[in-house]
Amino acid sequence: MRMKVAAAAALVLVVSAACSKTTEDGEEVDQTRTATGVIATDPKDSLGPAAEVPGATKGGTFTVIRENKISHLDPQRVYSFAGLMNAPLYARSLTAFKDDGKGKLTLVGDLAETPGTNVNKDCKVWEFKVKDGVKFEDGSPITSKEIAYGIARSFDPDLTGGPTYVQEWLADTADYDTKWNFKANKASLPPGLTTPDAKTIKFEFAKPRCDLPFALSLPSSAPLPPAKDTGVNLDNQPFSSGPYKITKHTPGVELVMERNEHWDAKTDPVRHQYPDKFVWSFGPDPDAGANRVIADTGGDAAALAFNGVPSALVSKVEGDAALKGRTITSPTPSAWRLTINTQRVTDLSIRQALNYAIDRQGLITVYGGTTVASPLTTLMPPATIGYKEYDAYPAGATGNPEKAKEVLAGKAPELVLGIGDDSTELGTQLKTNLEKAGFKITVRTIPADAKLDETKKKDNPWDIWLDQWAADWPSGAAILPVLFDGRSIKAEGNSNTSYFNNDAINTEFDRVLAMDPSAQASEWSKIDEKIMKEQAPAVPLFVEVAYYVHGSKAGGVFISSVFGYPAFVNAYVKQ
Amino acid sequence: MARFLIKRLLSVSLTLFAVSVVSFLMFFALPKDPVTGMCPKNCNAERLERVRQELGLNDPKVEQYAAYMKGIFVGRDLGSAQGGKCEAPCLGYSYVNSEAVTDTLGRVLPVTLSIVIPAAILWLLLGVGLGMLSALRRGTLVDRLAIGFSLTGASMQLYFVGALLLLIFTYQLKIVPVPHYTSILDNPFDWASGLVLAWIALAFLFSAIYARLARAQMLETLSEDFVRTARAKGLAKRTVYGRHALRAAITPLVTIAGLDVGAALGGTVITETTFGIQGLGRTAVYAVRGGDLPMIMATVLIAAVFVVIANLVVDLLYAAIDPRVRLS
Repeated sequence: MRMKVAAAAALVLVVSAACSKTTEDGEEVDQTRTATGVIATDPKDSLGPAAEVPGATKGGTFTVIRENKISHLDPQRVYSFAGLMNAPLYARSLTAFKDDGKGKLTLVGDLAETPGTNVNKDCKVWEFKVKDGVKFEDGSPITSKEIAYGIARSFDPDLTGGPTYVQEWLADTADYDTKWNFKANKASLPPGLTTPDAKTIKFEFAKPRCDLPFALSLPSSAPLPPAKDTGVNLDNQPFSSGPYKITKHTPGVELVMERNEHWDAKTDPVRHQYPDKFVWSFGPDPDAGANRVIADTGGDAAALAFNGVPSALVSKVEGDAALKGRTITSPTPSAWRLTINTQRVTDLSIRQALNYAIDRQGLITVYGGTTVASPLTTLMPPATIGYKEYDAYPAGATGNPEKAKEVLAGKAPELVLGIGDDSTELGTQLKTNLEKAGFKITVRTIPADAKLDETKKKDNPWDIWLDQWAADWPSGAAILPVLFDGRSIKAEGNSNTSYFNNDAINTEFDRVLAMDPSAQASEWSKIDEKIMKEQAPAVPLFVEVAYYVHGSKAGGVFISSVFGYPAFVNAYVKQ
Repeated sequence: MARFLIKRLLSVSLTLFAVSVVSFLMFFALPKDPVTGMCPKNCNAERLERVRQELGLNDPKVEQYAAYMKGIFVGRDLGSAQGGKCEAPCLGYSYVNSEAVTDTLGRVLPVTLSIVIPAAILWLLLGVGLGMLSALRRGTLVDRLAIGFSLTGASMQLYFVGALLLLIFTYQLKIVPVPHYTSILDNPFDWASGLVLAWIALAFLFSAIYARLARAQMLETLSEDFVRTARAKGLAKRTVYGRHALRAAITPLVTIAGLDVGAALGGTVITETTFGIQGLGRTAVYAVRGGDLPMIMATVLIAAVFVVIANLVVDLLYAAIDPRVRLS
């Protein structure tokens, strides 16, 4: 899971409720779109080729401009948003999301023929069959052996940065590298991972792991032939299994990917191979990157500014009729909430009163005006599969202080608000807002770079603070149990920062987590509502909305429904 | 002269040794645990300790410093987590860039050199030339224009001038390409066109200061007795100004130029950021932001080396310009 820090706010985030924007094709994009998703049960869904993108043409160079380098390219180490959006171009996983860019997601088999077989229907044994005809960049076939090797090498503690779900599930401990030593056992596989034959890869877990098909959509399940493993050095020159291969990489300056002639579109249900080349150009700051794209000259006409539209350029971009067809806006799965420390705020009526009192509109205005974010009244963001909208404490866009006072029944709770020293204006807004409803708020600033670690400490001294969560896959399983299962609370490093522990809710988590993933979606929405109505351990606030600009010749880019960042699998250069 | 040179080189060595010690100790003084960047997610105390042990961070600091210096002179094995064998001059492994620090520096140093050296030549020629002209034409329109130019330049900021140049020449007129770096060996024209705006911005700002200094120095020198004597002897104006006055006036400028160029080579952070070019300055900034301690140490060391070398060159130039320095 990635809890994004405030740096993510560098993106300009646009709004909101019933608002929509026109894309280059004149198509309306609903900014509050909700995710509808399924896990493909028909193997045909996992077959290629991917449906042609209307108007797409072959050829040209598609450029992505970004200030900083991508932190890791080694598929087993990729975990940043830029890395996750780039990796599908050169790395295939066991599963992948087929994303229509409008919120419809289907989990399909990528290297696998299907998104997995839940062998005993208990989520403890999963089997995947590798497709025929899948190849590496040198033309050698991809078999279960190379996929298993890729997963095995993610146990290597030298290969830092990547997700650790599969390793922890296989080892049944967070200290997975103490359970199985990759370096000492390179010829074997971690416990629970087997390859009965060249087409089959099998996972056996001690506990039900129903989210495995989702976790395997991350690039960490990408294959690698052992002979091509260069350890930490693979990070700068990965070995491709996708439609493009890395032909030049100058860290921090440029990444060039050209067509992999051994990639077969017929085996790939999600990717295309339209441009001759993809080039990541690193260096320009967000302003310079956007200005280059707006100028629309030379190669930049087929470019996208990955850092988004900086706030200084929003009015210019919005006011320029020529740019109308060159912007993309979309909500992201990044959800903000006012966390309530339930260890300290034990009175349910106080937590409920906070929900009635909250002025979302005021907070969004301070966060960046009316073009910053979209209000949220649920714990899961709308981009979650099976999402159902509800408002457990209806109080209007600006909150209802009178209703809050009524719930407080004469109490005047004194609460300590912890706020990062880079967002004190949000703290001031919250204090003003909540004090109107009868709360007495003491604002305590926390150094911004320490806030995340400090609020994750169980015995921290704050009652309420702002938190942000973006899940690795759009399932309630990657959100609710992570944020609200009290059995996972430890001294430090908590994701359950409400320190909420309720036996009935925990039992519900167990019940749903044991269900087949395709049946879980609607159950998570029910639990979401139950938690809010009965316990109110947080105040949902808003989701960020992304705003990007691209050149006049750049086509096919859409905002990933999974990560909320531009996806390049359909990208093409207009000829 | 040889004795002078040896003394200066010894002094340089001692300074660099001191800087290496300070930058090495910085590794431990910074409020960032060097192992956190090497530790995977969900890192607990036990694992942190294991990583610390693997990196040799529990060894006595003197031993660690000796290993660091050994790496610089003969190379060393950094272990599998840090790319294995690191050839001399080894300055450690950047876990942010996933490569040896020297590989990164080898890539970004030519960029910074390409920005600073041509810009320095431009600002010195323009600044000193304008200052001299202004002094020689004191009170005329040329003087007033030169003063106006230098006042404007001295009161501007690079991020403003740079952004203005970009806006006009790259985004509006579209006659200069987006700033970028190409090796001069690969394509000299592309090299120049990619950096020309950075040179102009730097030259404009720096030359303004040099013009004011040069004007003041020249005016002071022109009022000296030896200049009057030279004139009285009937020497040509060109000889008086060029050989006698300029030589005397330029000495303090050489000191300032040496320091400026040395500091600029240590990292033109604002220039590189404004123009989106990845040189030593930006690398240092990213290293600080990412807590990339080996890279921070290396950039501090390199910046110090540039300043020290620039000072050495200034000393040598002094010796060439002023015979009294040679004698002492």
